[in-house]
Amino acid sequence: MTAVSTLTIRDLSKRYRGRSGVQANDGISLDVAPGSVVGLLGHNGAGKTTLVNQVVGLVRPDAGTIRIDGVDAIAQPHLARKLVSIQAQSNVPITGLSPRLAIELVGRIRGAARGDVTRRTEYLIDALDLGPWADTPAEKVSGGIARLTAFAMTAVVPGHVVVLDEPTNDVDPVRRRLLWEQIRILADDGAALLLVTHNVREAERVVDHLVVLDVGKVLAADTPAGLAEPLRGALTVELDLTPGAAAPAWPSIVTPVADAGPGGSRLRATGTVRPEDAADLVRWAQEQVNARRIERYALTPASLEDVYIRLTGLEQTADGADEGTARPQVAADPETGSTTGGAA
Amino acid sequence: MTAVRQTLLLAQWQFRRQSQALPLVIVVQVFLSIATVLGYGLLIGNPTPEFALYLATGAPTITLISVGLIMTPQVVAQSKTEGSLDWMRTLPVPRPLFLFSDLLVWSLLALPGMVLGVVAGVLRFHVTLSIAPWIVAAALLVSVTSAAVGEAMATLLPPAVAQIITQMLVFIVLLFTPVSFPADRLPGWLATAHEYLPVEPMAQLIRAGLAQDHFSMPGRALVVLILWCVASVLGAVAALRHRQ
Repeated sequence: MTAVSTLTIRDLSKRYRGRSGVQANDGISLDVAPGSVVGLLGHNGAGKTTLVNQVVGLVRPDAGTIRIDGVDAIAQPHLARKLVSIQAQSNVPITGLSPRLAIELVGRIRGAARGDVTRRTEYLIDALDLGPWADTPAEKVSGGIARLTAFAMTAVVPGHVVVLDEPTNDVDPVRRRLLWEQIRILADDGAALLLVTHNVREAERVVDHLVVLDVGKVLAADTPAGLAEPLRGALTVELDLTPGAAAPAWPSIVTPVADAGPGGSRLRATGTVRPEDAADLVRWAQEQVNARRIERYALTPASLEDVYIRLTGLEQTADGADEGTARPQVAADPETGSTTGGAA
Repeated sequence: MTAVRQTLLLAQWQFRRQSQALPLVIVVQVFLSIATVLGYGLLIGNPTPEFALYLATGAPTITLISVGLIMTPQVVAQSKTEGSLDWMRTLPVPRPLFLFSDLLVWSLLALPGMVLGVVAGVLRFHVTLSIAPWIVAAALLVSVTSAAVGEAMATLLPPAVAQIITQMLVFIVLLFTPVSFPADRLPGWLATAHEYLPVEPMAQLIRAGLAQDHFSMPGRALVVLILWCVASVLGAVAALRHRQ
């Protein structure tokens, strides 16, 4: 990437001690430049949270370097903390406070003047549509509002580096859009954003660069377009299989991504198909529906999510691991523009 | 200046987060403080005037120690369990300020109990106090030391273990530490051990501060206490700086 990175991570490794001895990070390198959003994707346990906890000085790496604005964050975590603000993966409990008070207090603890903090808080409450809950005791607000409050606590006085760990969890679709907008604005105002997310579909529109982690290693790193390149022009086909019926074999025009498990343990199969074969595929799929071998099928443009699943999911299948549990957790979001068919 | 501001803001955060439980905490503190005085009274019957002073001055000492050694670790353990401690530690705040803000909050909360404990002691045992002008500084030294020990314990130990140890400490401080009785009642080995542990010097300091006409603070005990204070603050800060 560019040479003027705000956050530079090189060969970062961390193994947790103890009986399990997990190698959480294994030689990770990445850069986040000012004004850009870098998405960090990976399964649960891929090492994402360990990585961000090292950036903010909660976890000490075994090897490697982290530099923030040139500061060695491992040797001088107290200086690094001044340059980083983080939204943690789990919500910060703020019972006893209201969202507004929590946001303001954090802003002032981070050293900003009271008047600036008040104005910035008001702006964020308005921009995230938190108004109705801003002065409600925190114990009475929903998980989504708490999540947005945690984001605002991070963004009220943003660091040069802003780390967001799953910021969209539990947030309703309307406010999620507002949240993505604010995330983009933080970057446009010059912050370097490191965004940990499972929400591949939505992140695709906001991130400038993506890093895919798997078992502590960088599996792929590129722009969204670069990562999607191998699947450019391909369509994804998804089958919902009929319980109890034998799974139909794919026609030769389909490249399988994930097959039904042995003995029908999984009721979904996914593959990709070239656009020029789409008509044939729809004909084939409709026959399967009519024969009651599948419940429904869907044909969608191949997305980054498919790339991600290919990168991480296929490997697991090839290893003979249980693909069903290895699949990443992605937001179930009704995608527009999909072709859907099913038994009439 | 920034440090003071940050300490006060952190204290405000902690104070408000506890606001629901606050009235109950104060009531329990007052209750414990008075109950210690009255309970010892029942155990002892009618004490001699000198021993009555031990009882009357022991109650506030126990309150001070219990705030640092018992309540601080319980709050830290709780915030560790609910997950707020790690996030708070990502804020650009010098680590000692976490200790000082916790201490400020809990000392304020313990204040009513401490004062009422002294009043209860005076009334119950008909003693006359002679308060030294340095009593506030003495109380501060005692609470900083015990809170630092408590904070270090809670930061380094798993929450469940920290909770059990604090509960054990209550009994040890109440029954096997020369706070409300003279050290010569203890078996020799235990009395010797207490010459190197922090609690007896704490009791001696508060006793001398509240009844300076009858008790004085041995220089050696003051040195032991100051050493403990420095060591425990350094230990607590090291614990707060600790990275996994």
